[in-house]
Amino acid sequence: MTRTKIVLAGEGGQGVQSVAKILVEAGYEANKEILYIPNFGVEQRGGVSIAFCQIGDEKIGEPRFSKGDIVIMLSDRAIERCQTYIDKNTVVIYDTSVCHTKPTAECKEIIGIPANQIAHDELSVRVFNIIILGVIIEATKVMPIDYVKSAMEHALGKKFDKKPELRELNYKALECGMKLVAKSQCV
Amino acid sequence: MVKKLIEKDTKMFLTGNEVIAYAANAAQAEFMYGYPITPQNEIMHTWCKLLPKTEAGFLQTEDEISAGFSTIGGILAGKRAFTATAGPGNVIMQDAMSMAEMMRIPFVCAVMQRGGPSTATVIYAQQETNLTCFGGNGEGFRIVYSTSGHQDLYDYVIKAFNTAWKYRFPTFILADGYQGKMREPVMMYDPATRGITMEPTPAQLRAVGKIGVDRDANHLRNTFNLEEELMEHLEGYQKDFDEMAKEVAEYEEYRAEDAEILIIAHGIVARSAKTAIDALREKGIKVGLFRPITIRPLAVEPLRNAVKRSKQILFTESANGQLARIVLEKIYGLTTPYSTLYKMGVGVTGDDLINKVQEMISSSQVVA
Repeated sequence: MTRTKIVLAGEGGQGVQSVAKILVEAGYEANKEILYIPNFGVEQRGGVSIAFCQIGDEKIGEPRFSKGDIVIMLSDRAIERCQTYIDKNTVVIYDTSVCHTKPTAECKEIIGIPANQIAHDELSVRVFNIIILGVIIEATKVMPIDYVKSAMEHALGKKFDKKPELRELNYKALECGMKLVAKSQCV
Repeated sequence: MVKKLIEKDTKMFLTGNEVIAYAANAAQAEFMYGYPITPQNEIMHTWCKLLPKTEAGFLQTEDEISAGFSTIGGILAGKRAFTATAGPGNVIMQDAMSMAEMMRIPFVCAVMQRGGPSTATVIYAQQETNLTCFGGNGEGFRIVYSTSGHQDLYDYVIKAFNTAWKYRFPTFILADGYQGKMREPVMMYDPATRGITMEPTPAQLRAVGKIGVDRDANHLRNTFNLEEELMEHLEGYQKDFDEMAKEVAEYEEYRAEDAEILIIAHGIVARSAKTAIDALREKGIKVGLFRPITIRPLAVEPLRNAVKRSKQILFTESANGQLARIVLEKIYGLTTPYSTLYKMGVGVTGDDLINKVQEMISSSQVVA
């Protein structure tokens, strides 16, 4: 059975759960088996927010897993919290423009990407999380991009209708994220 | 009469809390009473969001005491009513649940367990197992279904209403914060298309007909003058409970027929057990699962048989042995040794169980 286990962690407000929702919605539309748990604390905002996503071909058993195939960390506190989900088969991705620390772990690969910086300089800080979505799509290769775009439409369609240029901006952010991983893997 | 939202089979991708609200509508529930507490809030939110379409009712009360007793009021008036709670809310609601036990009221409640004791975490646990089965100042004349994911939530919420109204014992859906908050696909259906007819819900207060002419008086007693009178009454309940158990007790076995190590787990933890069992079976280790679906009443004979067949058992829970205590009493006299993997208020993963089973095997080999 193929199953991809994804941990996505960041600060509350970075859009971690919004991205996770688009990701799993796309997986569902692609007829995959999905299990997604948002990790939440007592606080409404400001804590570390973690999304546990599993995408597979057969019905998923365990709701929580101990080690991720891909662990994405978008803040220093997220790096600290997510150490436990990393083992030698994990691909670790972190944002070099947000995190001051560099994750140190025995893992398959560590990829640093300056997504926040790029969002700020080239696109818009508001599409930071969509860049991250692009990163996940490219790094996992679990589903075709069309399903992701249609899930984005589902989640953001109303905003797109009001401001059509937002659609273009989000697509750009998505592609940007995908390229970031493709590039780093070439190095 | 409420309007049904699901008329033909519909696959949806929802959170468990949303599934519960849809399932209650599918069961033609007419009224929800509740008080907010994480992680069950979205049951109320969803139920309310659907009200314009369902034409059902909702009352948010001032606390769980009131939510519990209001639910009883709705039921006595002949409404298929329910409530939902979690954690400290479940503690506070025990007063009403106890009354429902005593007065044989078909009280239906979804419990989305969170960490305990007290406020603890808002996330997840299996620490309300004991409370949900035996809370209150009584004997636990309750029916408790422990669900293991969204399809279960849909199926058993529908079933819970019928079990409650048929046998007149308070009936619980025992789930947890993971199931409430997680998203996975679920197949929704109109119960009628599965041959399920909903039990009628006649009013007990202001019931139809003239007392002494058309019907007997509905004697709902909560107070007894004599000790013996109470005992006689409760012995009747116990008899009814035992009779009901034969029809209601449910369990699931997974690869258990030839299992040398039998994992005993309920709810969402049973799913982690399945992940572990598949991985261990690939290595040639004979492991299986016994999952009580009704924690109360337990399916005692199948449980004893499964334990008898195996060489070792492993209890695992996101609690400190709450299910194990209930099970151990029922397997008294059997000598199968057992191990435990308890994680209080924390999810049990497949890897946790794989490691534990391997540890059990290597330590038993050392002894041999």
